[in-house]
Amino acid sequence: MFLGDSLTAGLGLASDRSFPSLIEKKLKEKGLEYEVVNAGVSGDTSAGGVRRLDWSLEGDVRVLIVALGANDGLRGLSTKEMKKNLAAVLDRARERKVPVILAGMEAPPNYGAEYTRDFRNVYSELAEEYKVRFIPFLLQGVAGIASLNQGDGIHPNIRGAEIVADLVWKELEPVLRRPT
Amino acid sequence: MRFVLLMAAREMRASWQRLLFFFVCIAIGVGAIVAIRSVIQSVRNTFAGEARSLITADAIITSNQQLKPELVAKIDQRLQAAGAQSMRSIEIATMARAADRADGRARMVELRAVEHGFPYYGRMKLADDVPYDHALLKGFGVLVRPELLAQLDVKVGDPLSIGSQRFTIRGVIQSEPGRRLGAFSIGPRVFVDLADLEKTGLLQFGSRVASQRLLKVPEAAFDRLIVDLRADFANEFARVRSYKATEDDIGEDFTRAENYLSLVGLVIVILGGIGVSSVTRVFVQQKMKSIAVLKCVGARSSQLLAVYVAQVGVLGLAGSLLGVLLAEMAMRTIPSFLAGATPGVEMDYALTLPAVVQGLGIGFLVSLLFSLVPLLDVRHVKPSLLLRDEARSHRPDLTQIVVTLVVVAGLVGLTVWQAGSLRIGSLVAAGFAATAIALHIAGTLLLRAIKPLARSRSFALRHAVLQLSRPGSQMRIVLLAVGLGSFFIIGVRSLQENLVDQFAVRMTKDSPDMFLLDIQRDQVAAVEQAIAAHMDPGVTAPPLVPVLRARVVGVAGRDVNLENYEDVRGRGSLGREYTITYRDKLASNETVVAGQMWDPTPSEQPEVSIEQFINESFKINIGDTVRFDILGRVIAAKVTSVRSVEWSSSRAGGFMFLFRPGVIEKAPHSFIGFLRGPRDLDARARLQAALVAAAPNVSVIDGREIIDAITSVIDNVTLAVTVVGTLVVVSGLMILIGAVAMTKFRRVYEAAIFKTLGATRRLIATVLVLEYGLLGILAGGIGAGGAIGLTWAISKYALEIPFTPLIGVSTAGVAITTLLVAAIGVISSWEVLQRKPLATLRAE
Repeated sequence: MFLGDSLTAGLGLASDRSFPSLIEKKLKEKGLEYEVVNAGVSGDTSAGGVRRLDWSLEGDVRVLIVALGANDGLRGLSTKEMKKNLAAVLDRARERKVPVILAGMEAPPNYGAEYTRDFRNVYSELAEEYKVRFIPFLLQGVAGIASLNQGDGIHPNIRGAEIVADLVWKELEPVLRRPT
Repeated sequence: MRFVLLMAAREMRASWQRLLFFFVCIAIGVGAIVAIRSVIQSVRNTFAGEARSLITADAIITSNQQLKPELVAKIDQRLQAAGAQSMRSIEIATMARAADRADGRARMVELRAVEHGFPYYGRMKLADDVPYDHALLKGFGVLVRPELLAQLDVKVGDPLSIGSQRFTIRGVIQSEPGRRLGAFSIGPRVFVDLADLEKTGLLQFGSRVASQRLLKVPEAAFDRLIVDLRADFANEFARVRSYKATEDDIGEDFTRAENYLSLVGLVIVILGGIGVSSVTRVFVQQKMKSIAVLKCVGARSSQLLAVYVAQVGVLGLAGSLLGVLLAEMAMRTIPSFLAGATPGVEMDYALTLPAVVQGLGIGFLVSLLFSLVPLLDVRHVKPSLLLRDEARSHRPDLTQIVVTLVVVAGLVGLTVWQAGSLRIGSLVAAGFAATAIALHIAGTLLLRAIKPLARSRSFALRHAVLQLSRPGSQMRIVLLAVGLGSFFIIGVRSLQENLVDQFAVRMTKDSPDMFLLDIQRDQVAAVEQAIAAHMDPGVTAPPLVPVLRARVVGVAGRDVNLENYEDVRGRGSLGREYTITYRDKLASNETVVAGQMWDPTPSEQPEVSIEQFINESFKINIGDTVRFDILGRVIAAKVTSVRSVEWSSSRAGGFMFLFRPGVIEKAPHSFIGFLRGPRDLDARARLQAALVAAAPNVSVIDGREIIDAITSVIDNVTLAVTVVGTLVVVSGLMILIGAVAMTKFRRVYEAAIFKTLGATRRLIATVLVLEYGLLGILAGGIGAGGAIGLTWAISKYALEIPFTPLIGVSTAGVAITTLLVAAIGVISSWEVLQRKPLATLRAE
């Protein structure tokens, strides 16, 4: 289950090119029998994510990948609120005993060093507190590089999405291969 | 030569009273052309100015990525070659903090960094009438919008930290040119110096930056440069916007208004031409008798030609000059009429040289065309024949044809000169020709139709009919002049109304100017409460709109069957992510075109109403079942109605898929809000603060500034179009009055004879009323019919606006034409009625 925003939904890409879909392909190739549910909603913030978690967690969710916050960052929303929302997501997952991978985000440097630092810390602190698997920056190696992004300079293109999928896969594969 | 001049002078002196009338008629025609073309040109300049101030430059290169150095070098080279000036500007969303406050309040702002010389066009207005100067920004100065002062609780003179630097607030922005249309910002605007921004540490790898290059380009090199730059940027992350661009609604409005002006320019030239031609025609007809007499006493044809052409030439030129004078006077009075009508609209009313040249040319050429060609007949005509017969038909010879062609070519050239749209030109020409032919045929039919009336018992009616049908009657001329005249006047007037309506539709005074995003369900009550507490009195905010994202993953229907998402994707845009909503009734901009809207009770069975576009493009029909993936769950909904959404009504937006409440609202979703925020800026700031307190994640987008800018531009365009349209109607009427009044000279003789034979004034007046009334109804009717056709064609093909036939305008047009023609016929012949018959008979 991928809980995310437009980066997860694959805005601007064909839906089988979003990074969760690319991971689904990897799963098939490796013979791992998991179904991928893409709960990415374009424009969604952490506040929206926490409120739709229950709808999405219905069913037999084996791994929850939380990739929220990019819109909080783009809109310069309060980092305190974001931390509260993400913590609520992690609490809920913990109650249900669903293993979580937390994907971090960076705020663009536009908002000044202070905001960027606070923003980054939200993720590392949460990963620390909840002891979850952690990808410090979902768009590592993709963000800011024109050739890996669409014309808007925000959303990865097909090549960018592949890099994101590889990055997530590295964290995901060990969780899936762990005997349950 | 001496004879020619002498004779011309003598003739003119002898009949100066009559000539004065011709003279004034020509002047009115020419004056109308000159005045209106000048106004059009100044309106065009206003438009160009407005369009430029919308982007603050002639053109602007925008990019949200770093451009490659070789591309930058190429741009520089092109700019240099074109002799263009340029400056840089950067827009970036960032945080501004009240530096000296303990709570360190921060607020998102939309920062724009500019260089010295900004803006090329438009004006930056600061509060308290402080003049804008780049020095205000130099050395870490910052200009801010008033909202920011309220939000951060700071004032002018206080420090503000942006990035790693401390700035000082040096002024408050009242309005700013070049606020990008359509791009709503998420925070108030602040301005800084570009050099200072570079020191804040905000511009680094990964920053979201929109960089711009503002260009000022010499007009001659402009179009070429834009084309070249567009070609350079074909595969780059950069765009060129020219002030002439038509990519947004405002651009389209400018194009429409421009096209309208070209059309009106063409129409007034034709109307003026009609006026001048009918004047010269009558003049020449009157002179035929004198010509015959002169021929009898031995004048040569060439001498006669020269005498009259000289007269007409002098008359035409002098009349045209007087026309220019009239136009100049009109231009001086227009502004005082409009004073105070629309504050802030600056238009320059002055005659322009091309308009004057064109007016003079048309006055001269038209009078020449309509006199020279009939005068050429003089060469063939025997004096006796000329004396005996008023109306001869004579086959034109080669000289006549050549002369006609040369003069017509000159006229066409003048008309096409500064022509706007070829398309509109051809439409008008086609309409013109069609109406002329229709009028001609109608004239013939009319004569047949009224023939029986010639045996009527009523003397007045009998004579009115006979007058019309006798050879050489003025019927055809008046029919043509009045018919075409009313055709154009009614046409221009209806077009103007359709066009202005179109402008008004998009921006009404209560268009929403605040947009709320990401309101969560548990925050709806608090947000609605905060809104209600801060709205202007008497204004209620529309309810918040629930929105969900969904993809269509299957269709089971009559015409289409799509098994899974793969199939759906094959259907183009059906595979995209849709924003959907639910509601228990239709919105005001929706109508059901098929099926039936659900009743307002919730239903456990999912039902969906689709937009017409979905129905037409994807063949999804009523009764079909569409499967939606909503956040990973599939919901199958039955299509129960097809809606048509009026997309241009910006109040409520629109949705392709509308769900019946009952099932879908159980899915998690957020709400958005459109509202007309309070007018007062402080009240707006308080509302924003209350919203953030109620729901910290809610983003408030304030479009007020941009909407104000659009409204003012549209006001200007509307005013310009209205001024021009009204001028055309007024001057068109004057031209027509002249043309009809001209026919009085033919009346003089008849009236004298009737009177000698015992007719009363009253009887003659009745004959006149009937005769001109008949003409008026016919000309007005055909003109109005043609105008409806013209308006329809132009609305549809040239201006691309919806067409509404204006029955009121058309009916009024016919009525006014009839009344006017009858009244002018009688009034202008008043003198004829008063005059003693003997005097007339002697004089003739």
